[in-house]
Amino acid sequence: MNLGSTANMSDIQEATNQLLHVNLHENQRDTHVTESVPRSESEHLRVTIGATVPTGFEQAAADEVREKLKSSCKISKDRGKIYFDISVESLAQVHRLRSVDNLFVVVQELKDYQFKETKEKVLKDFEELAGKLPWSDPLKVWKINTSFKKKKTKRKKLNQNLNKEKIDNERDKREERDVKKELSNNSLDSHILDYYEKPAIKEEISTLVGDVLASCKNETEESLKEDTDPEVLKFRVTCNRAGEKHCFSSNEAARDFGGAVQDHFKWKADMTNFDVEVLLNIHDNEVIVGIALTEESLHRRNITHFGPTTLRSTLAYGMLRLCSPQPSDIIVDPMCGTGAIPIEGATEWSNCFHIAGDNNPLAVNRTANNISSLLTKSQIKEGKLSWGLPIDAIQWDICNLPLRTGSVDIIVTDMPFGKRMGSKKRNWNLYPACLWEMGRICKPGTGRAALLTQDKKCFTKALSGMEHVWRKVHTVWVNIGGLHAAVYLLNRTPLAFVHPSGQDKEELLSAKND
Amino acid sequence: MKLLTHNLLSSHVRGVGPRGFPLRLQATEVRVIPVEFNPDFVARMIPKVEWAALLEAADHLRLVEVPKEPIQGYEQDETFLRKMHHVLLEVEVVEGTLQCPESGRVFPITRGIPNMLLNEEETET
Repeated sequence: MNLGSTANMSDIQEATNQLLHVNLHENQRDTHVTESVPRSESEHLRVTIGATVPTGFEQAAADEVREKLKSSCKISKDRGKIYFDISVESLAQVHRLRSVDNLFVVVQELKDYQFKETKEKVLKDFEELAGKLPWSDPLKVWKINTSFKKKKTKRKKLNQNLNKEKIDNERDKREERDVKKELSNNSLDSHILDYYEKPAIKEEISTLVGDVLASCKNETEESLKEDTDPEVLKFRVTCNRAGEKHCFSSNEAARDFGGAVQDHFKWKADMTNFDVEVLLNIHDNEVIVGIALTEESLHRRNITHFGPTTLRSTLAYGMLRLCSPQPSDIIVDPMCGTGAIPIEGATEWSNCFHIAGDNNPLAVNRTANNISSLLTKSQIKEGKLSWGLPIDAIQWDICNLPLRTGSVDIIVTDMPFGKRMGSKKRNWNLYPACLWEMGRICKPGTGRAALLTQDKKCFTKALSGMEHVWRKVHTVWVNIGGLHAAVYLLNRTPLAFVHPSGQDKEELLSAKND
Repeated sequence: MKLLTHNLLSSHVRGVGPRGFPLRLQATEVRVIPVEFNPDFVARMIPKVEWAALLEAADHLRLVEVPKEPIQGYEQDETFLRKMHHVLLEVEVVEGTLQCPESGRVFPITRGIPNMLLNEEETET
């Protein structure tokens, strides 16, 4: 299985900013992006960077790279990966790409790799390979990359972040209890309430705290060791293997290749607390060796307050991009959850206006909290006086949106899957009603929607009754934590919506469900 | 809640239809939060704004310096655009209410978030 597609992202700047958090009195000296690289190291240093992106959005990522870095991309046959060349000076900009989950620097690409017939021979070849690779330039890039990280991360801020996370978790728990009491009197779907109580979900939140604690500890050990062993690096090898004709496993390859790397560099192997992560990506006959430039530290870029089904920011970015937002477009997410999509929108397309809505008060509050965190982040990051963003949050019902007919340009949303939230049976009724309301609020002719769902059958059926309102123009197949989902790009037809009487609407909707 | 959002909101109480716009705005707490000025955004927004609704809302919030209508050549008039930018994006209603002009139904605004949920009897389906 290609781990790249489910890998969780991190971004140096964002990891840092998340650690900086809400303290307005913080010394702003550390927040400046150090873009300048010592001339002697970087002169004429060009490297190939590999990036993992959500599968299905390789083209969107390539477009972003072309726009922002002026580089052309090669889209790999190994799904979810793109490659492009840059000069090392652009490294900071590479980290600011919104469509990218993880980054690595390519040590060598071996196309048409000839695997020998037996496992022993193949593994021996890998061992011999380690010593023959052109490590030096990629390692220089790794070093420069690491020095970015070191300048920004401070232990003091880790502690502050830890305290805030604790407080937020307490507050969230209290809020949840209060809302639960209030809602148990109404007939709110018990699925939703029970979900927040599930141990796995509670764990998701406390893992965040755990991660921060762990990196806290590491910092202490690190600073002690620094004086004694400055040059002995710790490393691990991660092998991703895809293909049917291999006679070896990824673990075996990682183990033997890793052994040779250790002999070559005299580094120390450490699976959890490593400085260098060597990547061995094998896809059929293509072998690519790389060094990771990002870590899987925190899962979501803009979201500091998690919910049960929070969407990856890179996926949110890809979906928004699909709709080609134009300046002054009104962009709505009518089932926003923790607000991943509108928040990504407000950050990257600040010349549009974003509205986040949900029926669940917990979700709306989380969205508002995430917006506040974002405001403070952007304030610190840019040293600007501005602190508002073009985004608002509203509590509403998707089946009865309190928006003017034809007032919205773009709708982007993550529709309930039925597995993690809601149920498949509910979707049969929900999906037609959603498409109807979304069709009403969306501007005829120019409006469009990007809708993510795993319940493709139900969606297709619901859509088939709405051809006079929505026309499907494109489908992107994506992978959400192992589930096969689709993003449907729809164009709103020029047909103006005529407000029917209550009876007509009910008849129309029930006819579709037969 | 910003006034630009108010300009898009409409009551969806059963049977009300387009007569549910605009919602009558009352505020007990208002905040001004600066937002980065983007003249292109404001200029393109002007033709999309429902002016009567905007003026009514601004009036209820007792805002001053609100242009009564787009002036000729507004796209290049920075003073005009900055005033509109302020009215649409920088005035935040933190606590208040929105009232349906047709049915009288009141929706609360709490911590900047309007709650537009209806109960069973009030909805269309």
